[in-house]
Amino acid sequence: MSFITVNRLWKEYGSTIVLENLNLEVEQGEFCTLVGASGCGKSTFLKMLLGQEGPTRGELALEGEEFPGEPDRNRGIVFQRYSVFPHLTVRQNVLMGLELEQKPFLGKLFGQARRQALEKVDAMIESVGLAHATDKWPHELSGGMQQRLAIAQSFIMRPRVLLLDEPFGALDPGIRGDMHELILKLWRETGTTIFMVTHDLQEGFYLGTRLLVFDKVRNDPQQPEAYGATITYDLPIGETNGQLYDSIESSVSKTARNLSA
Amino acid sequence: MKTRELSKRMGAVFGAGLLAASLSFGATAQERDSFSLAWTIYVGWMPWQYAEDSGIMKKWADKYDIEVDIVQVNDYIESINQYTAGQFDGVVATSMDALSIPAASGIDTTALIVGDYSDGNDGVVAKDAESIEDLEGTTVHLVELSVSHYLLVRALDSVGLEERDLNVVNISDADLVSAFQTDDVRTVVTWNPLLGEVKDYPGATELFNSSQVPGHIKDLALVRTEVLEANPELGKALVGAWYEVMGILQSDTEEGREARAALGQASGTDREGYEAQLAATRMFWEPASAVEFINSDQAREAMDSVRQFSFDKGLLGQGAMSPDFVGIEFPDGSIMGNEGNVTFRFNDTYMQMAADGEL
Amino acid sequence: MRLINRHPGGAVALLLGLAPFLVLILIYGAASQQRLAENPNDKLLPGLEQMTSAVNRMAFQEDRRSGDYLMWQDTKASLQRLGIGMGIAASLALVVGLLNGILPLARAGLAPLVSTLSMIPPLAILPILFIVFGLGELSKVMLIVIGTAPIMMRDVAQRVRELPQEQLIKIQTLGANTWQVITRMALPQVLPRLIDAVRLSLGPAWLFLIAAEAIASEEGLGYRIFLVRRYLAMDVIIPYVIWITLLAIVIDQLLRLTNRRLFPWYNAGGH
Repeated sequence: MSFITVNRLWKEYGSTIVLENLNLEVEQGEFCTLVGASGCGKSTFLKMLLGQEGPTRGELALEGEEFPGEPDRNRGIVFQRYSVFPHLTVRQNVLMGLELEQKPFLGKLFGQARRQALEKVDAMIESVGLAHATDKWPHELSGGMQQRLAIAQSFIMRPRVLLLDEPFGALDPGIRGDMHELILKLWRETGTTIFMVTHDLQEGFYLGTRLLVFDKVRNDPQQPEAYGATITYDLPIGETNGQLYDSIESSVSKTARNLSA
Repeated sequence: MKTRELSKRMGAVFGAGLLAASLSFGATAQERDSFSLAWTIYVGWMPWQYAEDSGIMKKWADKYDIEVDIVQVNDYIESINQYTAGQFDGVVATSMDALSIPAASGIDTTALIVGDYSDGNDGVVAKDAESIEDLEGTTVHLVELSVSHYLLVRALDSVGLEERDLNVVNISDADLVSAFQTDDVRTVVTWNPLLGEVKDYPGATELFNSSQVPGHIKDLALVRTEVLEANPELGKALVGAWYEVMGILQSDTEEGREARAALGQASGTDREGYEAQLAATRMFWEPASAVEFINSDQAREAMDSVRQFSFDKGLLGQGAMSPDFVGIEFPDGSIMGNEGNVTFRFNDTYMQMAADGEL
Repeated sequence: MRLINRHPGGAVALLLGLAPFLVLILIYGAASQQRLAENPNDKLLPGLEQMTSAVNRMAFQEDRRSGDYLMWQDTKASLQRLGIGMGIAASLALVVGLLNGILPLARAGLAPLVSTLSMIPPLAILPILFIVFGLGELSKVMLIVIGTAPIMMRDVAQRVRELPQEQLIKIQTLGANTWQVITRMALPQVLPRLIDAVRLSLGPAWLFLIAAEAIASEEGLGYRIFLVRRYLAMDVIIPYVIWITLLAIVIDQLLRLTNRRLFPWYNAGGH
């Protein structure tokens, strides 16, 4: 049995079909990147993995168990923006998850327990390179530093699956490179299963072990909502060549043109 | 010297300005042919409504070749304040408010018509107390500094109590009836038509009313003395119209009943209700009886009592060191109080003319 | 240089700010002087001398009848009512607003009621308030509460709903239960916004306070103003109005400073 099983999965909103007949098996520790034109359902798929949305039909299971219908501590998330708490310092942001877990009612740690937790927190902050900014507020951090914080906040919980929703989309290309190094380092250290949605095909090829391309196989220009997207390419990375890259690139941009028409 | 010059000039500049102009005296003493009188809803003042509606006011104004605008104002105190500020030539008020607002503000005011005095229209109503003595140590709700307050002090005085023997809480007249429905409020002092409403409350008793201090709470029609002196026609027209209306209102004719029904409706009740209020009011239907009353010792004593009360309560203003601060002139020319500051005058000339049929 | 790009310097800005006040005072002074010249006993526009002597009498001399310093007694009574009223209103707004903003079930049940209540003009239903709350301190405080709480509730709920959806998801992925979502995410972020809401509601609150004191009272700033209006004592009313304005400004600035001090992240644009 696979770690994550997706079996004949459909997602519809009323008469609009977003995803049709999705099939996928993912092993523990894989790093999947999800690419595709906007509106091709990759973010919807991520939301279903997160528990924010449920499938219309079909099966979505984690180790054979159906995915819970709401977000929980087994699945971490980093969004493009807004995923750190503006009213907490860097340290408090990372500490939050540990406090919530240990103190269901108070939601705060004190004394010895807090000191122990802070050791973990400071180590985590150190490993994402924010040691110099421990007591800063999020608004004092640059975009890249905020994303480092968001990543630290999620990783400290050791989630079984980590979901990244275009986490570096708003960053400068130079900073993006540093972030790639960081995420690969943490992935290797923890062995967490990662799904990452990206707009950047190159990023999709560079990061991770597996590339999933979401695209529409059928398209009706008069009725774009009649057909949903599915996974058109599922490639282990490393076995790719330039021709394939170009072919995916042109396929995805053609769909994008059709969708925006 | 220089600053003074400057401030004078600035004063002149701004004095000519729009805002200052609107704040300066509106009513002046020059001879004019257009006047305004403000009135508020109360049993003794409702006849002004009839004078306006029936055209009687216009008839009398035309006779003296002037125009008189009868303006109804919703807020009684505000109407007197506006008169004092110069927005009206005349206003209706009780003798107490006439003394404490325009007269104490230095506006020389003449009581042109003595319309009535309250003869049961103001009263003390209690849920528990059975006599004024019982009020000792309790809380009484009333419109502070109004005739109700005055009536309470008179009532307490009649049994040897003083205001400090109980607790007075101010309440607005608009909310008095609804407040009486609550348990907090045990005793109120008020006037009609509110008085009638609270007396109807189950178990409520009237402990004291204005018929026990006859002549103290007088309802007057006031005009600015300087305006009246420059324009005697105004006095003649107002007094003429008033007593014509009195004749109709008093009569047991179809016209009289219709008039009372109309005024009852205008004051939120009906003909019977209005007639009941009239019964608790000592109306001076005939000018002669008003003239006789205002020249009586009773009227003089009542005025003395009112000015004492007003002084005690600080109503005469900071400048007043004694009740004598304001001079009150009576029809015979005698003056009560400061002869150098006569700002309140009872003038029976016009009522006498009406009595003599000279209008 | 275009007019839109010309900014006044410090001293000029101060002067420009003061100028309208000076003009108002000058106009008042001129009008007052003119009226007093015509009638030395005029009460409508008292001069500075009359007003200072009234303040002296109200604030620094014992009242002849009660032996109290009336202005301080009035101020204390009014501030107490305002404080209790705003305290209750803000607490209610916080609880209801949080629930409304974060729990869809609470929102379905409460939001229409809160919206409707916030539309009712409280002064129009005064008699009912008297019957329910009596005529004592409670009804005055409740008038402020009823007048300001529903709008603040809506405001708080709106602020909660404006918190990014991403945060709500994020905290759930950190394992938070509903209680923790409210206490660790929504509440701390909404507190500074509540203080802003209180600042905005202070204007209406003063209005309701003064209205309540005009109705049935023995002390209070609004009570005194309505009482002395009975003999046109503008020499007392004008200083009282200036005093109320000053108090309102001071309270507003204190709240602003409190907000800055307690929530540094909020005022630096961290929201």
